[in-house]
Amino acid sequence: MYKRIAHLDADCFYVSCERVRHPFLCGQPVGVLGNQGACVIAGSYEMKAHGVTVGMPIWEARRLCPEGIFVKRDFEWYEVLSRQILDRVRRYSPAVEYYSIDEVFFDAQAMSDREIRSLQQQLKEETGVPVSVGVSLSKTLAKSASGSGKPFGCVFAIKEDERNRLLHGRPVDKITGIAQRSRRKLEAFGIRTCEDFVRADRRLIRRLLTKRGEELWWELNGVSVLPIHTTRVPHKYLSRGGSLGAATADAERLSAWVARNTERLIEALDYHGLYCEQLAMSLQFKTGGGALHGVNLPAATADFRTLYAAGKELLAACWKPGITVAYMHLIAEKLTCREHAQRSLLAESEPRQQVLDHLRQAINRQVGRWALRSGATLPLKDIYDDPANAYEICDIYGKSCF
Amino acid sequence: MCFGIALPLDALPESLVHQHRHRVVLREPGAAREIRFLLCDPRPELPVWHDNRLVVLPWGNRDAASRLPHTAWCRQESLEAGLWRHLHPEPVVIPASLGLDKGVWFLITEGIRGVLVKDEQGTPHVYMLTQPASHYYRIMTRHNRMPVFLGRQM
Repeated sequence: MYKRIAHLDADCFYVSCERVRHPFLCGQPVGVLGNQGACVIAGSYEMKAHGVTVGMPIWEARRLCPEGIFVKRDFEWYEVLSRQILDRVRRYSPAVEYYSIDEVFFDAQAMSDREIRSLQQQLKEETGVPVSVGVSLSKTLAKSASGSGKPFGCVFAIKEDERNRLLHGRPVDKITGIAQRSRRKLEAFGIRTCEDFVRADRRLIRRLLTKRGEELWWELNGVSVLPIHTTRVPHKYLSRGGSLGAATADAERLSAWVARNTERLIEALDYHGLYCEQLAMSLQFKTGGGALHGVNLPAATADFRTLYAAGKELLAACWKPGITVAYMHLIAEKLTCREHAQRSLLAESEPRQQVLDHLRQAINRQVGRWALRSGATLPLKDIYDDPANAYEICDIYGKSCF
Repeated sequence: MCFGIALPLDALPESLVHQHRHRVVLREPGAAREIRFLLCDPRPELPVWHDNRLVVLPWGNRDAASRLPHTAWCRQESLEAGLWRHLHPEPVVIPASLGLDKGVWFLITEGIRGVLVKDEQGTPHVYMLTQPASHYYRIMTRHNRMPVFLGRQM
């Protein structure tokens, strides 16, 4: 395994991206809002200093930070800068993992401390985005190190005393992979900090947190067991959907959302060269609660008519008239690689339909992503009119994390 | 609706900044200063591109005796329905980097559309064009009207 792993984490990435194209935002308290305009999804350090946190409703953020400047998210632009960072890191390292839109792991074995610092500086100069870097013996330690150096820090936690310093007093749930439930299990055994965790008996950790917990134990003890994924691990399922914007109980609009999510799901299946054999739908209702149903498809497919028909069937199972829906997800399950998929007459699109599908894809590539789309999406004209809805974070492919 | 705009100082000629230095503010220690044009100013004004020149004009009309509409905004629907035709409105662009609505400052990428009309004395006044708010804008500001933006919509 690797002996020297670096983790690069962009500082308040969405805000930094906005500052690249709007330099007057530098030094200002800036909050990036989600697509509904309701919640802060990222904030500058200046805004956070006023007590504004991620996920906070705008009216609360405005109260805490009356001089705050709010910006609408733009994932298409954020991806441009994200890929610039990724490309530059790839010039220096043979193994790079695109972990998330603002995080990269890379093998830093052949890089000196000075070269790593110089890369950090170069990224700032060439992309305009400040990044923090952590370098250690495992991915988990490197990620902790970059987090401890924010903003614009470069922290090396290689030697034992450096690693001990990094873990000292750090709550155990600060480690990616240890959430509330795991924290409670560990707490019952007096394991509260990362220091407690690394000193705990490995077999106890395995018993409490299974294989994943044991991997973290090794990683925090300086033994790298989690590989750097230079390509994304194949998906077990693919999901498209999210908030419906204005929650709705309108049957036509809900059907239109099924059509939109189906088209987006097919786009993802096409990208990955996959078919699905099952389709599921999850709805969350405005008044709380929700519904989840799944259906088996006649065969492995990525055909719009088959999936849309299944989606409408699922909507009928999940939703009753009068109920207001806030979130909808369409999930493709039992994915199979198209090359290995069993051919079935039931699932094959007609040759004529296949020609039309290819033509539509070609036109959209040329004119714009949703220039030609299903007529069933017509009730969502307002959604398609807003360019911010054309690009979601899940449309940024290749990331190993969400 | 929009109750104010702000611009970085370098967006205006030095002479204009000097003339309106009372409008210059510092939003955050360490950040660059900006110039604000607010409707609540004693004499509300807006910068406007007119005849290829950047000028600062009275924003709307507060004089009840004037023939001009007693407001700061012009509904795009009214304009399109011809309700402003008798005033011979001219389209103008209001440069703005930030807008203010119900206490929320928001980013504006290019500017805001407006109309210029003249009063009985021939003095030009600028009205900000408004349109029904998008879902995003309505949630963000809790207002059902928003400015007509140039470039990227909200």
